[in-house]
Amino acid sequence: MPDEPYNPSPIGNPSVLARRNWWQTLLVKFIGKHTPKCREMVRILSQSMDKPLPLVMRIKKRLHFLICCWCQRYEEQLHYMRRTAHEFPGHADEASNVPFSTEARERIKRRLAENTR
Amino acid sequence: MSTIDSHTAARWVDDHGECLYRYALVRVRKPEIAEDLVQETFLAAVRGYQSFGGRSSERSWLVGILKNKIVDHFRKLGRETSFTDMEFLSDEFSEKFVSVGFWNHDLGPHEWKPEPDEVMHRAEFWQVMRDCLSKLPEKIRAVFTMREMDDVPSKEVCAILSISDSNLWVMLHRARMALRECLEMNWFDTPAGGTA
Repeated sequence: MPDEPYNPSPIGNPSVLARRNWWQTLLVKFIGKHTPKCREMVRILSQSMDKPLPLVMRIKKRLHFLICCWCQRYEEQLHYMRRTAHEFPGHADEASNVPFSTEARERIKRRLAENTR
Repeated sequence: MSTIDSHTAARWVDDHGECLYRYALVRVRKPEIAEDLVQETFLAAVRGYQSFGGRSSERSWLVGILKNKIVDHFRKLGRETSFTDMEFLSDEFSEKFVSVGFWNHDLGPHEWKPEPDEVMHRAEFWQVMRDCLSKLPEKIRAVFTMREMDDVPSKEVCAILSISDSNLWVMLHRARMALRECLEMNWFDTPAGGTA
């Protein structure tokens, strides 16, 4: 769409603001133009997992989310992955069926026995 | 002077050895290194048993020790290997975005259900998570897991692996993009994941 290169709102966009009528169209265009594009937004979202965003960027992010449910989902999914990754070590035995060899087990037990008596 | 007897230590190996080994293997990939890390973990546990005090479960305590051992392993590796090698960081997900930078709406993130609390009881989810982690390039995986599984602060990850802040951000971003994509494709968009 060469005349509207920043249109982030296709037909059926489920975001809060989509191009459903004239004033939403204006808002979507304005927000699309004045907030980071999604490719940049996902980088910013990733970085925000490790250091707080400046206030202006937090506001831009919120505005961007109004027109882009995909970036909003992306942020939710970063938190989802953080939460599950954090729990992963306690579930490592469910995650795989690689056997812990009897040899290794016995070797470690012998080393422990040397260190406990 | 340790206050633990060899029978208890042997029981630890039987009760928790497999879990620790499988976790270590996800992190370091090489079985012999994973076995060494598990052994060092148990030895450290024997030495530090008095500080345990039963505030957490034995499993969590041992996993915590193993995480420290893994961080030490990467610290050593960071001195020997360059973690700033960026050749594998080409933008693999450029097709996700249209040329002006918005999501290609057909390829943007789908909704993820169920909630984390529910998937945590599903062994299949952890298997998919392990497979997806193991598909990440080695150095990217090291950075991501150290940050997200071991809770090592980002500044410390940079120091441990001798990488710059900007390298860290890029590597974490690539890891998150790749892991998200893999989890969506292999879990959340499948009947097992519940949103297909």
